[in-house]
Amino acid sequence: MPRFLREILIIAALTTLGAAFSLSSGLAPLPWVEPELTAGEIRLVDARVLDVLWIDARGEDAYNQGHIPDAIRLNEDNWDDGIFILMDAWLGNPRPIIVYCGSASCGTSKRVAERLQEALPAAEIYSLHGGWDTWVK
Amino acid sequence: MGEMKQKSLFVLVARLVLAGVFVMAALPKIQDPVAFATSIGGFRVIGPALSAWVALCLPWLELVTGLGILLPAIRRTSSALIGLLLTLFIGLHVSAWVRGLDISCGCFGAETGEVSSDYRWLIVRNIALLLAVALVLRQDLRNKNGALRS
Repeated sequence: MPRFLREILIIAALTTLGAAFSLSSGLAPLPWVEPELTAGEIRLVDARVLDVLWIDARGEDAYNQGHIPDAIRLNEDNWDDGIFILMDAWLGNPRPIIVYCGSASCGTSKRVAERLQEALPAAEIYSLHGGWDTWVK
Repeated sequence: MGEMKQKSLFVLVARLVLAGVFVMAALPKIQDPVAFATSIGGFRVIGPALSAWVALCLPWLELVTGLGILLPAIRRTSSALIGLLLTLFIGLHVSAWVRGLDISCGCFGAETGEVSSDYRWLIVRNIALLLAVALVLRQDLRNKNGALRS
């Protein structure tokens, strides 16, 4: 067997053993199982029972096509205008803020939620697990 | 003879630095693969499902190649794989920089206090490590050719 191939096999075997150790010891979650909530996320079923302020972090076109009732559009593109509207709404009636974007994989809601948390340290802020897709379903 | 010894010393130092960097980078990620998967997701190159697989396997590959670069049995392929990984990391950082992503690198795990990445520094650091890999591979190739001649 060529030396290069032998070395590749040894490295692959050791890496596989290591990954198997991570899985068996519980260090790593099973990658083929869809993860439950990640940090800062909230399920729609939980959000529905709360009095919350919805933030739509999608683009303008998507927002105009449909959004959660009373949701404020706020993302990196309209931050200065959107944050002013949000501040006005939140200071008048402080309540949890939930940010959503298009789907589970969009990521914008988490970035907007993180940025919002810096702007409003006292606020309770989440991103919606599954995003707009979950709401539509 | 003195020059040869000096060159060998350089290669040994390069090997130790590469081993140290890769082992130090791997351990926190092995301890917290979920946080590493989040860092990978931040690059917006692959989806969450694939990120979980990469977060599971990549740190172990870094650990094995980091230690392997010191072990005669697998050191040549380990050096080559480290070179490939560094090239991949440079490409990812350039891509994130061009797209203006303000993300944590995740290079040494999530709990290192890095909030956002200084891409210039990351790219320069990885290019320096890549040069160290080239030095190590060149020496290995010379040793192989020398062994074949004798």
